[in-house]
Amino acid sequence: MHGAFKTPGGKLVQVDFDLEDEILRNVEVTGDFFLYPEEALTKITAAVEGSPADMSMADRTTSIAAAIDPGVEWLGSSPEALATAIERALLASLETYE
Amino acid sequence: MSDLSRWRWEPWVLLPIEPATPAMNLALDEELTLRVGAGERPPTLRFWSWTASCIVLGRFQSVRNEVQEENARERGVEIVRRISGGGAMFIEPEGAITYSLYVPAEMAVGMSFAESYAFFDSWVISALRSLGIDAWYAPLNDITSAGGKIGGAAQARRGGAILHHTTMAYQMNIPAMMEVLRIGQEKLSDKGIRSADKRVGPLRQQTDLPRQEIIDHLIAEFGALTDLRSGTLTDEERAGAEIRIRERFGTDAWRYILP
Repeated sequence: MHGAFKTPGGKLVQVDFDLEDEILRNVEVTGDFFLYPEEALTKITAAVEGSPADMSMADRTTSIAAAIDPGVEWLGSSPEALATAIERALLASLETYE
Repeated sequence: MSDLSRWRWEPWVLLPIEPATPAMNLALDEELTLRVGAGERPPTLRFWSWTASCIVLGRFQSVRNEVQEENARERGVEIVRRISGGGAMFIEPEGAITYSLYVPAEMAVGMSFAESYAFFDSWVISALRSLGIDAWYAPLNDITSAGGKIGGAAQARRGGAILHHTTMAYQMNIPAMMEVLRIGQEKLSDKGIRSADKRVGPLRQQTDLPRQEIIDHLIAEFGALTDLRSGTLTDEERAGAEIRIRERFGTDAWRYILP
């Protein structure tokens, strides 16, 4: 499953994952954003891995934001942008299977 | 601190332009950044020269999402990954002007990350304007113009130093680029345009000057702003970069770190 969201005036965040029993698995977060330090991506990705498909947008945003340690700079994207990309991937999958 | 006192923090070194493989160019960036961070090298400016066409991926991009791998292979276009974020670039040796600044992090003290992007490219904007190109900085990281986007910057921070590198399009081979890269509609969604080729304004479309003359002009502009001296790579730096190619930049583990 694939979703993308470009923050207006910012950068693109993309997410790829598999849906297994309504749980997000094998999550990959990628894009042309900037992130300092680089290792912060591991925690951001882990915050999405294993999350339920029916999680609300607000809860998803909060859980991603909680994975970003103080001092980390994510330029051009945001927890909300990533949550939007995930929502889009899930919506696209619904359209495919309906 | 004024911008001028930042630029004149200490003398700069300009490295000679030497052709290098894509992997070597990326390895030198990491090596020299760490050397500056360790206080073993003064702030340094390097213009790149390429021995081969390549796709340079940003640190956080996925190969699958950005590259049409089979087409790239058929065209002999190598895929490499840099240590900084940002977007994929398709490079042909004479088609781009790329430079790197390696500076101690203190030079950007008190600036936000976003401010430092604009700061480290400010001299290029002045240089392009003095060539009659109506260029300006478009945050976060673009050099753009009335004729379209010219280039983009990316930064990495390592061991007390900042790597700021920028690639500007000199002449673009749009058909080849469309063949080897994937340029999704989402990326263009807030640009108000439908295709990638309408938003770019390579320098060759905006000036008659040969590529090397533009580079000479950029160096002159930088030399007027800073205390710039000629220097060379040390043997240790070359050897260090070779090790980085073997251990990172030349490996599939790094290339496909995000598959």
